[in-house]
Amino acid sequence: MLRFKIKRRELPLRSLPVEGADDATLRDLASREGLALRPDELRKIAATLGRNPSIVEVHAFDAQWSEHCSYKSSRHLLKALPTQGSDVVLGPSEDSGILHLGEHNGERYGIVIAHESHNHPSQVVPFEGAATGIGGIVRDVLCMGAEVIAVADPLRFGRVGNETSQQHYIARAVVDGIASYGNAIGVPTIAGDCYFHEGFDDNCLVNVVALGLVKESEIIHSFVPPGSDGWNLVLVGKATDPSGFGGASFSSITLDAEDAEANKGAVQVPDPFLKNVVMRASYRVFSLLRERKLTVGFKDLGAGGIMGCSAELTSSGGYGARIDLDAVNVALPGLAPEVIAIGETQERLLWAIPPEITPEILAMYNDEYSLPDIAFNARAVVIGTVTQEPRYILTHSGETVMDVDIDILTGSIRDELPYDAASPMHEPQTPPPPRKTDVLAMLPRVLAHHDVCSREPLYRHYDGVVRGRTVLARGAADAGVLAPIWGSRLGMALSVDGNPRYGAIDPGRAAEHAIYESIRNVVATGATPIGLTDCLNFGNPRNRAHYSQLVQAIDGLAQAARSFGLAFVSGNVSLYNEASSGAAIPASPIVACLGRIADISRVVTIGFKAAGSPLYLVGARQPWLGGSVFAELENINDEYLASIPYDTARREHVMLLAAMNDGLITSAHDISDGGIATTIAEMCFGSNLGAHIDDPTTAWGKDLGSAGAWFGEAGGFVIEAGDDAMLRERYPELCRHRIGTVHAAPMLQLGDESIAVSTLFAAWSNPLAELYP
Amino acid sequence: MSARVAVLVFPGTNSEEETHRLLRDCGVDAEIVHWSRAETLKSYDAYVLPGGFAYEDRIRAGAIAAHDRMMDFVIEGAQKQRLVLGICNGAQMLLETGLVPGTGPIRQPTAAFTHNTSRHFICMPVTMKLVAAPSRCAITAALPEHACVPAWAAHGQGRLAAHADDLAVIAQGDHVVFAYAHTDGRVDASAVPNGSALMAAALTNREGNVLAMMPHPERDGWGYSHLDRGGRRDPLAPSGGSVLFAAFAAALRVSA
Repeated sequence: MLRFKIKRRELPLRSLPVEGADDATLRDLASREGLALRPDELRKIAATLGRNPSIVEVHAFDAQWSEHCSYKSSRHLLKALPTQGSDVVLGPSEDSGILHLGEHNGERYGIVIAHESHNHPSQVVPFEGAATGIGGIVRDVLCMGAEVIAVADPLRFGRVGNETSQQHYIARAVVDGIASYGNAIGVPTIAGDCYFHEGFDDNCLVNVVALGLVKESEIIHSFVPPGSDGWNLVLVGKATDPSGFGGASFSSITLDAEDAEANKGAVQVPDPFLKNVVMRASYRVFSLLRERKLTVGFKDLGAGGIMGCSAELTSSGGYGARIDLDAVNVALPGLAPEVIAIGETQERLLWAIPPEITPEILAMYNDEYSLPDIAFNARAVVIGTVTQEPRYILTHSGETVMDVDIDILTGSIRDELPYDAASPMHEPQTPPPPRKTDVLAMLPRVLAHHDVCSREPLYRHYDGVVRGRTVLARGAADAGVLAPIWGSRLGMALSVDGNPRYGAIDPGRAAEHAIYESIRNVVATGATPIGLTDCLNFGNPRNRAHYSQLVQAIDGLAQAARSFGLAFVSGNVSLYNEASSGAAIPASPIVACLGRIADISRVVTIGFKAAGSPLYLVGARQPWLGGSVFAELENINDEYLASIPYDTARREHVMLLAAMNDGLITSAHDISDGGIATTIAEMCFGSNLGAHIDDPTTAWGKDLGSAGAWFGEAGGFVIEAGDDAMLRERYPELCRHRIGTVHAAPMLQLGDESIAVSTLFAAWSNPLAELYP
Repeated sequence: MSARVAVLVFPGTNSEEETHRLLRDCGVDAEIVHWSRAETLKSYDAYVLPGGFAYEDRIRAGAIAAHDRMMDFVIEGAQKQRLVLGICNGAQMLLETGLVPGTGPIRQPTAAFTHNTSRHFICMPVTMKLVAAPSRCAITAALPEHACVPAWAAHGQGRLAAHADDLAVIAQGDHVVFAYAHTDGRVDASAVPNGSALMAAALTNREGNVLAMMPHPERDGWGYSHLDRGGRRDPLAPSGGSVLFAAFAAALRVSA
């Protein structure tokens, strides 16, 4: 009994006996404490501190030095990506990046953009994992002082053929989770994509992009400003609970089937209802800060919880922090200090504000928006102080449980790992021989492929029009389009892309294609691309082959972004995505492209507009079928990917945008999955019209064979001319390949053969209806 | 002096801003009133309850909000024949308070908007067709007969459900003001996105001063909202679904 009491009293000061221990002992200690830290990392902590770390300290370093927080094996590689440009307001240094959208009434407006993954949580607890993915990214955008205006979700699932399979369940529950959260907080889902591939059977990908609108003069930064010594650190939101403890480290290990139950505890619990109110209350606080002309710090609590957030918020301004864990509003008594400090309870944010304004801000959250009435013990509360001295100090029950140099805690660490610079599947020199296919027999199969067919059954679960600013909801065009500023004709377009079939062939080229396709999708709506974000989803970095894929993909991203003159303003790296068998997922560099539309009335959609209009192909066809839907259906496994003619593509995009602005192009659709035959079929679906397309083998696709011509996936567009004479006169280069004409009858004639659009529509519209009723 | 309209915000409401904007663009003197200022509701001449997920749709959408302090003022106003328009979650609240169809006691609902047949949230463009005489409801009085109003359905619980006897009362009393229709105006079951009884998209009360409407006309309210489904009018001008709000504005002028 007595011994027990003494032990309890010592608990806050309990330390981990790292000094002098051998590797086996350290591995054992780490395992017992639930740490992902390696023996060399544990020794480094002890050496840096000059003593054994306390339990709280070791958990703090475990989170901060996790791959998820530290980017230790990717940060140095990411330096290759361009991050500067005339439209860049804020590059990748804070919770989100910001791109310049335009001016309205003399004010400069920026679009805040963040890109994240919630892959492991979604694999383990799909509904909650996907929902908290939305919750987290929304906070990243909110904390820049922005109004959250849209989200988009790139999803990668395993094979869903078997209704009782885990893959089927995950594909459904993830979509339900996204819908339940995004819909309730009132943020429209305006874009997204979805692929099904056996490589994701054991590890789905749930990426999420969020956008916000901010006046560039009113950006709030994720660091404390000069002169903030003695300021209050105010925690806002949900009461801290044990959920999500170890989340950062959990994201940085390979999922093991045996640990599935244990891993569930590392996933947080979403509360979109509380978030809705926290967002609205925060908007109110933003207006108070504007009235008082105060510069403050505001940051989202994500990985590493209170510790990660407060340490980064203060240290990035050159300050330290002192936090009293007893002041934190908790959901239940008796939580260990490391759980309060590092747990990743959702729906929390942290302000650094001067004490004179604290009472008003607390009153806004706690009284005007009555947070304590919205969720149990939710509130805004002062938990600590910004300190001049650059130390990070946590106290609990009157004891100091952590006291470290804050720059060591938040400083960058780096893992040097071996890799191969080039993909084993290098580009072949000679093009493959032309292949023939029966296009009318093949087209319905291609249209019914899970990666091509209509996404409407899935998208229908998402609210795409809340806030009333949606111009083109997802599905109506290649990119989602908003008119984000009330009373302004300025528009913005967003597309997210990344083809796993390409990733499985060549990670570097797949990365280039991800950028190229996202740009095409934005251009197809009449929007000028202004910036990029990425989420790099890869396998275990300590596996040379997997790590090499990451390196190659970053090279590809850098090359394509520079070639198109675009910068990355935010991004995310998600590693350890692999099956318990050790097989990595297909390399999945997923890219989002943001575009600007000067006048939304010029926006261009997919559907044909008028019978008799000439149709042009922009972007020459290529013989390569590698990675195509056609190749998958025909079991062609030995071909390479199409190349990207950067100079031509850039010039074509400029001309397309100019012609669209002149009103000369009435519909446009990019060529990607399923080739040009799919593109044209989808343009028919968007109207009540048909088309007659000339036989490619004698005209626009000579030497390619019918397969390469109709189903090759080299990038490009099909455009419908409005005023054809004017288009040909002003933009002859866009009119080099006339491929056919829009027809009034809803028939699609391809060469000499024709098929009813309704037959194609039936094949295309239904395949996902069973999965998403 | 023009009528003052309150747009109510409950905890969980999410459509107050666009609803407020479109009301103002249609000439209505509207203000957003937040739950912490419930007592100020007394002084308004009409109420608009916007969409969202008030109180997280606990029990059933609108069920908790029906007992919110703000709703006391809405009920009192409705009983004084003030105009009340509920959209989506607001419509659900009006059924949960019993104001609509208004055939039973207050806060003892006789009908509800509940889970869609699919059990899933749906978001899709719909057409609402005026199937009652325009003057049946004060808010639609300025619309032409058989008017078709474009809107977005965006709900998980939009299916009208009631006991057969209560449905008969709703049908016989011409409470169904709008039914779901195809874009060409045909009303039939295949146009109903959620399995709603009587194909109902919107219901009124006996007196016709309260309208509970599931689809959102405000999400199709400006030229820019339907550039993909129509001509190229001024993208910033009220358009499409705004006819419903313009009719609401006209009704305020009549009642003033």
